[in-house]
Amino acid sequence: MSPSTLALSQRILERLMPPAQAEALLGDLLEERRLRLQAGSEVSVAGWYWRQLASSVPALLWASVRRGAWLITVVTAVASFIAAIGIQMLLQSVLSPMTTSKSVRAVVMILTFAAALAACGYVAASIRLGAARLLAFLVFAVTCAMLAISTRAPLWYEGSLLVVGPLATIAGATLSGWLRRVWL
Amino acid sequence: MPRGDFLGSLEQIVMLAVMRLGADAYGMTVRREIEERTGREISIGAVYATLERLEAKGYVSSFTGEPTAERGGRAKRHFEIEAAGHQALNASQNALKNMSEGLSRRWKRA
Repeated sequence: MSPSTLALSQRILERLMPPAQAEALLGDLLEERRLRLQAGSEVSVAGWYWRQLASSVPALLWASVRRGAWLITVVTAVASFIAAIGIQMLLQSVLSPMTTSKSVRAVVMILTFAAALAACGYVAASIRLGAARLLAFLVFAVTCAMLAISTRAPLWYEGSLLVVGPLATIAGATLSGWLRRVWL
Repeated sequence: MPRGDFLGSLEQIVMLAVMRLGADAYGMTVRREIEERTGREISIGAVYATLERLEAKGYVSSFTGEPTAERGGRAKRHFEIEAAGHQALNASQNALKNMSEGLSRRWKRA
């Protein structure tokens, strides 16, 4: 089995169960694969392996939901999103009165939006990496919806919000992961 | 007896497989035992999810074995039945036995 296939299997399983259990399950699959290779062809055993992995996903996904892992991720992402909106509104209310220019205000809006999301992305990733990813998706989806409703803003501004929001969240999450690696 | 004490059919099958295998009960052997004895195809994920549920209920316990080369250096996770598991399995099997008792005439067996 190629190292990339093995890495992909491991990545799928680690998304669905604790790492130690994922290791044991992958070990079981590899052991049975080896046994089957003694009697069957490489192609049929590869088919069996992927069928096993694919048919395991629903049960493991449900077990993961029961374990509450998904709930914590979703709650963390939503709470981070609400916190980011709060921080952004606070920063904007402090900084916006300093200028009367519409374009400067728009830039301030984008910058505060980015700063708030980077901070919340950092915190979300510290709790759960999946929460930061979900937060980036939430930001993208909500920004798309907001822009679809209100089309009065200039194109450069809409485009910036769409790109800057998710990127700032991912930047905050990346910083969190990098600092954790440096410290631990 | 409270309703929660009865085991589901897959839970019973998994526990019986663990019991049969004894010291050799781990994911792969449990899965193969079920397939061989029931003829029912089952995914390794379903076996693990069921065992995790049984472990949370205190019916089985697990421990990590030594890593082996045929598993790519990965350790086995062994399972064994706890006293509460034996009780729950007895209760479920007795319930089925009591319900099916005296039905031999009406039961159209395949």
